[in-house]
Amino acid sequence: MSDALLSAEAISMRFGGVVALDEVDLHVGPSSITGLVGPNGAGKTTLFGILSGLTRPRGGRVVFDGADITAASPQRRARLGLARTFQRLELFSELTVRDHLVVARRVRERRDRTFLRDLIGIGSRPSPGEDDAIDALLDLLGLGSVADRVAARIPLGTGRIVELARALATEPRLVLLDEPTSGLDAHETEHVADALRTACEDRGVAFVLVEHDVELVLRLCEDVTVLDFGRVIAHGPPAAIRASADVQAAYLGAAPAGQDVP
Amino acid sequence: MQGYVLAGLVLGSIYAISALGLVLTYSSSRIVNFAHGSTAYAVAVFYHWLNHEQGWSIVPAAIVALLVFSPILGLVLWAVVFRRLTHTAPAIRFLATVGLWVALPAAVRLVFPFSQGEIFQPQGLVKVPVDIFHLHGLDVSINGNQVAVLAGAAAVVVGLSVLLRATPAGLATRATVDSPRTAALSGVNTTLVSAGSWMIGTVFAGLAGILLAPILGLSDVEFTLLLVASLAAAVVGRLTSLTLTFAGAMLIGLVQGVAVDVLPSHGILATGFRPSVPFIVMLVCLVAYQGLSRERFEVDLRAGPVEAEVLAAPVAHGWRAALGPLAAAVALFSVPFWLNSFWVGVVSQGVALGVLFLTFTIVTGEGGMLSLGQATLAGVGGFVAAALATHSTIFGATIDNPFSSSSGWPLGLAILAGAVVAVPVGLLVASLSLRLGDVYLALATLAFALLVEQLVFARPEFDNFGAGVSVNRPIFLGIDFNDRTAFFLLLAGVFCVVALLTVNLRRATSGLVLASMRSSASAASTIGVSVVRSKLFAFGVSSFVAGLGGALFAVTIGRAAPTSFNVLVGIVWLAIVVTWGIRSVVGALIAGILFAVVPQLFNEYLPSSWHDVPTLLFGLGAIGMARQPRGAVFDVAQGLRRLRARAAAPAASEDPVPS
Repeated sequence: MSDALLSAEAISMRFGGVVALDEVDLHVGPSSITGLVGPNGAGKTTLFGILSGLTRPRGGRVVFDGADITAASPQRRARLGLARTFQRLELFSELTVRDHLVVARRVRERRDRTFLRDLIGIGSRPSPGEDDAIDALLDLLGLGSVADRVAARIPLGTGRIVELARALATEPRLVLLDEPTSGLDAHETEHVADALRTACEDRGVAFVLVEHDVELVLRLCEDVTVLDFGRVIAHGPPAAIRASADVQAAYLGAAPAGQDVP
Repeated sequence: MQGYVLAGLVLGSIYAISALGLVLTYSSSRIVNFAHGSTAYAVAVFYHWLNHEQGWSIVPAAIVALLVFSPILGLVLWAVVFRRLTHTAPAIRFLATVGLWVALPAAVRLVFPFSQGEIFQPQGLVKVPVDIFHLHGLDVSINGNQVAVLAGAAAVVVGLSVLLRATPAGLATRATVDSPRTAALSGVNTTLVSAGSWMIGTVFAGLAGILLAPILGLSDVEFTLLLVASLAAAVVGRLTSLTLTFAGAMLIGLVQGVAVDVLPSHGILATGFRPSVPFIVMLVCLVAYQGLSRERFEVDLRAGPVEAEVLAAPVAHGWRAALGPLAAAVALFSVPFWLNSFWVGVVSQGVALGVLFLTFTIVTGEGGMLSLGQATLAGVGGFVAAALATHSTIFGATIDNPFSSSSGWPLGLAILAGAVVAVPVGLLVASLSLRLGDVYLALATLAFALLVEQLVFARPEFDNFGAGVSVNRPIFLGIDFNDRTAFFLLLAGVFCVVALLTVNLRRATSGLVLASMRSSASAASTIGVSVVRSKLFAFGVSSFVAGLGGALFAVTIGRAAPTSFNVLVGIVWLAIVVTWGIRSVVGALIAGILFAVVPQLFNEYLPSSWHDVPTLLFGLGAIGMARQPRGAVFDVAQGLRRLRARAAAPAASEDPVPS
């Protein structure tokens, strides 16, 4: 798949004697939503760690927009346009929701390197267009009412949306979403799903979605990969995944395809 | 040669006993106990008090000190301090143990007073005069104290192995070390295990202390060196492996022992080499472990639930935010007009220290980094400034005054040079350890500080028989700064400028970036922040401020002396800054003034036996971190706001504290 935005090729990882990932391939096209599902312990979060650069794989390579980034640091990947959210919230607890977006955007503009100017200049000045861009993002995700709340004092569900907003504020081309709807109620989930579609269509952002809510994945994604025990057991459009006997076996513990079920 | 090897084995055994206690407590609670050396000191002082002051004979004194006092001390410290720390942010864990490090020696000296003349060679576990045995086969003499150390180490190793491998309590301990949660779920009482390991850890510390005292003396410095050697041994074992830690301790002891034979017997290497061994060992380990996969360290550092970062700044909003600092500034500048000349001089020292203390506000408050080396960086600034201003030479090299041919540099330029030189020194030590995480930076800065103190500040050109390098105050722009009021106002002005720059930094993009790293380094890196680069920047700025403050302090007291900048003084500084608020510039100023004024008040108005009380109070304040992590300035500000809210609207239900 040469037109892929992100390609992970033959990724392997082991912890001690446990094989967490075994020659896993994943391809993500531009402006698409790709699903990654599998039972607990299938290796989804490990794969995300490798894609975002927090973990180095034992084997295989990661290519983003034609460049090999297997050995690139997380911050270099972020600057190339690869963002992520965390399953266990990693918010900046002292900062307001708005400041989460401000810092992400300014880092994107390389303003985290203006230390000496910050030291002598007066306060923080927003760059042109910053306020508008951040207001637009807050609107898109419905965070306007909590914009000035400190992250330590917002509910879990809102926190997940802030993670998504922070990732989008880096103006990424691809966002890795680690269980963005866990802990959200049905209404909030629908809200996140709408926001993902809008970001994908209007801003051209691609998403990779790890989710326990398989129905949501099958509804939202055009392409789904299923992992089990560190291997890809199925890959294709939602309809094919829904029909796959292997997937049903992995999730329901039924006999593998090809065997008669008495 | 054999004699030196034996001396090395003895030293190594003492380090091993102490280091095993350190690893044991770290394993069960994920707290690196920087008060471990103080604990050893406390037990050694208690034993000495029983044995020498109360006239108890060796056996009952040892039994009471090691089997009654030590476990009780360990239990009390665990219940009051450590138990609450396991679930707090790493910075709070660290700062609270630093408070204990400061408070404990002061407390034991107050409760168990002993005559200072006895501290050089107190009686250990064998009778004085010490028996000497000659081992003919090895052609070496061994004295009773050395036999006691080797026997003690053997007893500890055998006892610990049996305890851990062959008893139910040991199984529970090993399970807890592996995974506290799983152990708790399978019925292990992890609270009991944790309390038990602190008791045993304290007994080990105490034994090491009692064994060390007759060999190296009952002095603060020796016990700090014991702490650093134990920490270095623990780093060899990556804070968790008992076997590697034991090997590391023996290695450090052996190198130190044999070095005495190999190195020249006079000069700086003779005294300075010993303290540099732990630093070198730590350095080698830190570099070697960089190659290991990062996860090995992440597991060490992030294990156990870590609460959200709570080192929030005492921030109010709008114009009211400026009220408190403005009032503080007015009060500061008015000081020369209502205090007499003597006390203006004392408060001047406090304001100079206030500038210096802003280094902690930047490195720990803003940068979220744990450093024990700021006092040494201040010393670098102080010595460089004084040496250049007084005779234009450093390390024997003459650096000519670039502006005129007179003998010394202009003082302003010399102070600036001091601040500038501190920056690369700070960056060097930070860059070696930053990548590995919070605790390792603290360990490396501590070892580095001791190295510089013993190897550089102790050089005759700086130490000058304890008198240090003298430095005169300037006449500048036609103003004679020997006048106390003029000099005070100058210092107050410098403080305000540096404080404003600090606040400025906090409010700018860099402040946001640093705040994001304090909460989650991994999330910060995935939005594109270069964590190491940003931390190095903050460390560099804090080094500059440390150097500046150190230089100003030297000018204020008229000399740069090693005693002004030694590691233990730096620990007390950190403790008092933490007490008043590590995020607050006003807190730094109050801390500086109190550090100068309180001991002077005690000196003037109270008996000399009370001279440990201020240190005790400073230490206790930092331990209070476990209760109110934002510091006293926040406490007071919060209290005022509550009062105002109550006065304004008695029925108001809104939370008056802006977050």
